[in-house]
Amino acid sequence: MSEDPVEYRAGPIYMDYAATSPVDPRVAAAMGECLTRTGIFGNPASQHLFGRRARARVEAARAQVASLIGAPAAQIIWTSGATESNNLAILGTARAARARLGARRPPHIITARTEHKAVLDPCRRLEQDGCLVNYLAPDALGIIDPQQLREAIGEDTVLVSLMHANNEIGVLQDIEGLGGVCRERGVPLHVDAAQSAGKVPIDLSNAPVDLLSLTAHKLCGPKGIGALYVSPQRRAELQPLMFGGGQERGLRSGTLAVHQIVGFGLACELCAAEGREESRRVAAMREQLWKGLESIGGTLLNGHPTRRVPGILNVSFPGIEGESLVAGLTELALSTSSACNSDSDEASYVLRALGRDEQTAQSSLRFSLGRFSADEEVGQAVAAVRREVARLRAVAP
Amino acid sequence: MNEPRQTPDSDVLRPQIRALFAALDHAGELPGAAAAPGRVVRGEAGREALGTRVRFALRLVEGRVAAVRYRAYGCPHTLAACEWLARQLEGCPVAEAPGVGNPLKWSERLELPPAKLGRLLVIEDALRAALAQV
Repeated sequence: MSEDPVEYRAGPIYMDYAATSPVDPRVAAAMGECLTRTGIFGNPASQHLFGRRARARVEAARAQVASLIGAPAAQIIWTSGATESNNLAILGTARAARARLGARRPPHIITARTEHKAVLDPCRRLEQDGCLVNYLAPDALGIIDPQQLREAIGEDTVLVSLMHANNEIGVLQDIEGLGGVCRERGVPLHVDAAQSAGKVPIDLSNAPVDLLSLTAHKLCGPKGIGALYVSPQRRAELQPLMFGGGQERGLRSGTLAVHQIVGFGLACELCAAEGREESRRVAAMREQLWKGLESIGGTLLNGHPTRRVPGILNVSFPGIEGESLVAGLTELALSTSSACNSDSDEASYVLRALGRDEQTAQSSLRFSLGRFSADEEVGQAVAAVRREVARLRAVAP
Repeated sequence: MNEPRQTPDSDVLRPQIRALFAALDHAGELPGAAAAPGRVVRGEAGREALGTRVRFALRLVEGRVAAVRYRAYGCPHTLAACEWLARQLEGCPVAEAPGVGNPLKWSERLELPPAKLGRLLVIEDALRAALAQV
């Protein structure tokens, strides 16, 4: 690592890697080579030398991304990020199904209540357009039972969309089991892997997954670039959402952003090479963090204790108002489920779906650690939370 | 919400609110009747489940509010407003205390976001409940 995490730090301790991660300096350097006149700036669709050079880098990056998830490079479609990938997978599948089934049989889609809005909102949009959507409820630890999925699949189910790792609580779903059910019933499975790719092994050569969403900025790559893996068997069942150039074999038109693609590719390669050790280190820090927070007393871990990505820890502090807690933690940059300042006072729908009451959900913090997190930061974070929790408990009625 | 809400940067809360929130000097309980002279009135409003709960205690000595303490569960603005009100009330003649109680005025004085008015109403209810015993 070229930058000392503590020396490098300016401002609060960053514990919000699940929101986004800093670009790895090696990735930034590679991206910089693709921007200026002396670099790989060409349009990959061009036939001249500049275009061919750019195309070669794009295809090398495609292979790097594919390699991280054990997929053939030809099955990777570039997008602007996981949100677009999710929209393409869900809306694109539904559109194709509607054409196939006809107006009298609305396509049926299954997802979960704890999905990211980038999945839930397209599903709600489809409901407005006449599709049927089932929202599976997880158990108290955030796990979706494959049997529950089996019972929900019907004759006109055209897609199951379930995330691999939850963005708020970090819980990992049993993709093998859930995908196995989908395979039994001949229904494609879409997996949002934005929070898990590069953090836990994904091998699509053996996994029953048909569509998989990825994004670069959660794994120390740049923002604005992502990918959708599309299995060859399901390609014909996907309609594009964007038109105007026919790039990405007609599934996603638009000039390819070479610098971002190159950055994404290298970010994936670094995860493949260093991810195992990094995940071990980050998971150890997360455990150290949980032990410290647990010792404060009156804390609740949200989500399954072991089936989780290395970096995400979601903890409730019942009796403590979440917004006040984070406002007092000025030395930390993290996320809360409190929604006091938003238009709605609703707490996290993910924690509510796990059965947490409104107040407990409001009192939760999400700590997310990553590549540049340091051991000493964990101790500092625990000390800061201990101080604020004690202060607010002393103030509470 | 797409992502959980992030911790506010230090400049998101207005300096006055941040300063009050950082120094909740009047939070706590008034000492018992044996420890200090005067009469103590108390008022409470709100519920944690609804996001705000406030309890005020005022010690009245010879027609003045001699001391104020509060306990509160709520957002930083709520806690800051409680602290500010406690400071305003302490030393104030009891007869003038009700004049302090106007959420619109507090909101303007503390430059609170309009969305916080509902929380100020809870504070007002707690304060009125205490003053109703005078």
